[in-house]
Amino acid sequence: MHLRLWAVGLASLLMLAIPAAAQASIGVGIQAGPVRLTGAAHPGGSYALPPVYVVNTGTQDESLSIRIERLSAGKGRAVPAAWIRPGAAVRLSHGQSARIPLELVVPDAAKPGQYLTDVVVKGSAALSGGSANLDVAAATKLEFRIEKGVVSGSWFAVPSWLLPGIGVVLLIAAAGAVARRFGIRVQIDRVPADAAAIRAGRRDDGT
Amino acid sequence: MTARSVKWLLPVAVVLLVTGLAACGTKRAPAGAGTAESVNLSLTTVPTTRSITVSPANAQIGACSGGLAGNDTKSTTKKLGFPDGKCFYGRPGANGIFPITITNTGIASDIYVSGSSATPSDNGTGWKLCNVGEDPEVACTGRLHLVPGTDQYLLRNFSPVDKPDYGGLTDTPACDHVFGVSHGCFAAQGTSQAEGIELIGPSSSSDNSTQWTVTITWMPVPQ
Repeated sequence: MHLRLWAVGLASLLMLAIPAAAQASIGVGIQAGPVRLTGAAHPGGSYALPPVYVVNTGTQDESLSIRIERLSAGKGRAVPAAWIRPGAAVRLSHGQSARIPLELVVPDAAKPGQYLTDVVVKGSAALSGGSANLDVAAATKLEFRIEKGVVSGSWFAVPSWLLPGIGVVLLIAAAGAVARRFGIRVQIDRVPADAAAIRAGRRDDGT
Repeated sequence: MTARSVKWLLPVAVVLLVTGLAACGTKRAPAGAGTAESVNLSLTTVPTTRSITVSPANAQIGACSGGLAGNDTKSTTKKLGFPDGKCFYGRPGANGIFPITITNTGIASDIYVSGSSATPSDNGTGWKLCNVGEDPEVACTGRLHLVPGTDQYLLRNFSPVDKPDYGGLTDTPACDHVFGVSHGCFAAQGTSQAEGIELIGPSSSSDNSTQWTVTITWMPVPQ
């Protein structure tokens, strides 16, 4: 009797487990809006692109990584994959999202014009369908413009010593202005001439 | 009191003046005045991501056929034979079986699909994808260019409604024809498609491995 009850219980658990296994899925998502560089890039420059939003839409944990591949139709020069340096892969659970940084490195010989490519996010997990692996990816556009001219560095790209240096110079200038305005008192003690001669005479006498 | 003796008072006066001006911006509310209230509004927006999920049903690659019995390389039910062995994951046709469900869970997009080269378990020489039809990306070099040649294989995905002249998957992502048999591969949000896979093996294989791995990738891309 007990054995039969155990068997029924086990069968019930299996019945519950089978649909969960059957519904296992892999999935990824990426922001629909294009990744765009604010302003123009210049040959020889490096630029931080807006970080790209990625999400795990599957039912299991997976590691999401970025690659660059032209898929979208549209006008714009092709972007060599080496120009874009994506951040490291991120491991995400079901429903979790993250932002992966991207850096645009424009070579000196880059031609001016509008550029277009795609950012592709790919999951590490692949479900097995028979003996085939089934995989997913998702893509969004990446757009930027290159203009001739000098590299316009970011405001924060100045040498690290420059801002403290400016601060020190301003401090010295302020101190100088205060000194000039209020003056500096130097105390000078005068010794009468005869008193000085008496001291000198004593030293000569050895007294 | 001389002018010189009060000079030290000047910096103190400046500090007091600056402090006083700063205090002007923090005027205390008069007694009895009403207090500010805020209302929290909750807002839900439509998804702004491009996403996809793939879920395979419990099924096995099977229904294999082809191969040469005289060479002892004829296909068995679950094993691909040579030459020109053929296996299915699912079953094509009107009353077929389509074990893979692809769902566009994000905004409306085109759905692309691609295949990989087949990799042997010893990481030796793989099989490259080839295509048949009028304008193949990589032509199959087998009999009459209708079947794969040496170290080539053909992957075709199928659905209940199929495209008759479909030449097979390529290793570069391309429109998944089953999402728009008449034109393109457009999928609105929530669109699901059931698919199966057909695999035709090479005329001969340079690698002797008996375990091979292939990968099929689906991807939503901007229209």
